[in-house]
Amino acid sequence: MSTESGTFLDQFPAEAKVVRTAFYSSFVALFVGALMGILQVLHRTDVLRIVDSADYYSLLTLHAVLLVLSFSVFFLVGIFTWAVTTSLDRGLQDLRYTWAWYGLMALGTLLAGIAVLGAFIPGLDMSAAVLYTFYAPLQAHPFYYLGLALFIVGTWLAGLDWFRSWWAWKKDNPDERIPLPTFMALTTTLFWILSSAGVAVSVLAFLLPWSLGIIDQVNALLTRTLFWYFGHAVVYFWLMPAYLLWYTMLPKISGGKLFSDPLARVVFVLFLILSTPTGIHHQYLDPGIAEGFKFIAMVNTMFLLLPSLLTAFTVVASMEHGARQRGGSGLFGWLRALPWRDPVFTGMALAGLMFAAAGFSGMINAGMNINYLVHNTWWVVGHFHLTVGTAVALTFMAATYWFLPQLTGKAIWSKSLGLVQVLVWFVGMTFMSNSMHRQGLIGVPRRTAEPQYSGFDYEVAVGSMAELNMQVIIGGTLLFISTLLFLTVVVMTVIGDKVDGLPDNGYADTLSGPEDAPLVLDNLKLWAGIAALLVILAYSLPLAAIITRGGILGPGGSPSPQFVDTLLFVGRVAADTVGGVIA
Amino acid sequence: MSSELEREIGHDEFDPVGTLGLITIYFLILVVLWIFMYFVEFAGGDLTVVGVVV
Repeated sequence: MSTESGTFLDQFPAEAKVVRTAFYSSFVALFVGALMGILQVLHRTDVLRIVDSADYYSLLTLHAVLLVLSFSVFFLVGIFTWAVTTSLDRGLQDLRYTWAWYGLMALGTLLAGIAVLGAFIPGLDMSAAVLYTFYAPLQAHPFYYLGLALFIVGTWLAGLDWFRSWWAWKKDNPDERIPLPTFMALTTTLFWILSSAGVAVSVLAFLLPWSLGIIDQVNALLTRTLFWYFGHAVVYFWLMPAYLLWYTMLPKISGGKLFSDPLARVVFVLFLILSTPTGIHHQYLDPGIAEGFKFIAMVNTMFLLLPSLLTAFTVVASMEHGARQRGGSGLFGWLRALPWRDPVFTGMALAGLMFAAAGFSGMINAGMNINYLVHNTWWVVGHFHLTVGTAVALTFMAATYWFLPQLTGKAIWSKSLGLVQVLVWFVGMTFMSNSMHRQGLIGVPRRTAEPQYSGFDYEVAVGSMAELNMQVIIGGTLLFISTLLFLTVVVMTVIGDKVDGLPDNGYADTLSGPEDAPLVLDNLKLWAGIAALLVILAYSLPLAAIITRGGILGPGGSPSPQFVDTLLFVGRVAADTVGGVIA
Repeated sequence: MSSELEREIGHDEFDPVGTLGLITIYFLILVVLWIFMYFVEFAGGDLTVVGVVV
């Protein structure tokens, strides 16, 4: 432990090793996941099909699990460990404990990966082509569920590690405000534990026993609902480290200060309380959940636009502050004064820009009626390639160009190549995501190995299917090239020599600091309590209805709309009453 | 980083008008796109399931 200045490696060498290892694990997942991505692009567009179409779904599962769980969450635990250690200025409590949770996460990823890849080994009765959402009755090898469970338990223990640091720090500093980066890590951990408990129940109580043959069936709607109970909060789990970087790094790199610490705290509190009671908005088209419950989920979701719009304001205002301090002027002229040659800045800024576009498609997804237009189409895939695939992934890649020197004591091998890399990602994603959205609008389905149908042509209003597919091919190829460039810079940096004169570890100062934030914002127990209460309000009735109608272990209720059941029930009661009166 | 700074702008001198401008443009784009999606793509489309059944 040390309070002297220098890189993170100088200050906390043991913690730097943890963060570095987490990052490397994340980059391995990125490479394999991206490889699966380019194979899918070529397969779907019928350019090159090196696997059987039935095996496409194994590639898809691996792509999704490795990128949205392994790549993003390994990077997240690295970022949060850095954030907590740096902002509390103290090392972790017990590094053996830290390595234990890292080990669990790594083992979990390995088990899930083996289960998916087993499909390609002849004679081995193993597969997990259940896609990222693993909807029953699709069933995976037990290793897959076990791997996921271990991975999630690993993240819980990681969260506890950050809490232990904070508790220890609080004993020494009873009257101080929680430093902002730690506050962000703690609030994120709280909603993560609250939400991932749902998928843990789904996996451990139902899907794993079912996969092992201990129980014969599950209630498919129940496991789906438990998945989405976690499935929307997890998108904020990926996003929060990106937000942390936008709030605490981007202002500094822009040459300014964070506009408002209190506003940042409000945003993270809103995510804590609103992330979880929204999951049913992924199930607008699921029969068996009454419309009223879906409406509640929609209202909660629309409230979630608030923290993202607050973030847009605070982060852009912080960048503007930096630009004006660097001599920028005019209503929009200050934009030119930003450090566009720095890949760290440009990557994060472009990621933010893409996130703004994703805000639009997200609003369409979230609207209960208009969602019908795009549900289960490629539009949705276009949407989340802008969110997790760019807002998060590109921010992480850009941040790596700042973190790698901090963690290794070595200078980035080529910042120019880094700049090219983030630009190529942006251009590639513009092509690919634009085409995915447009294809979705004309009804092209997602999760389909061969979306070509004989005797049927999509009605493309502007352009043609060939043009749309070409955009996906170009975009997907550019994204793969960008990934390779990124990994090249990382590898060349890591095998390089240590240098002196690297920038000190640290994060952005604030214009309006924590002293301006009401004390109640730091009351984590209060916000966690409200979050739990909202979850109970949003989920207890739908879950009770699903279990009552379909049984806790299935076979599931009738797929007829809920109001029909209600009408039949009321009708039967009325008929019985009338019958009773007449008799 | 600080060597590139030309001036120090404090809390009270800073007025993020540029941010207001950008957010206003973004808001207008959102409104136009939403109107397009709702009225042209969603409400303007043919009935699907109901059209087949009835």
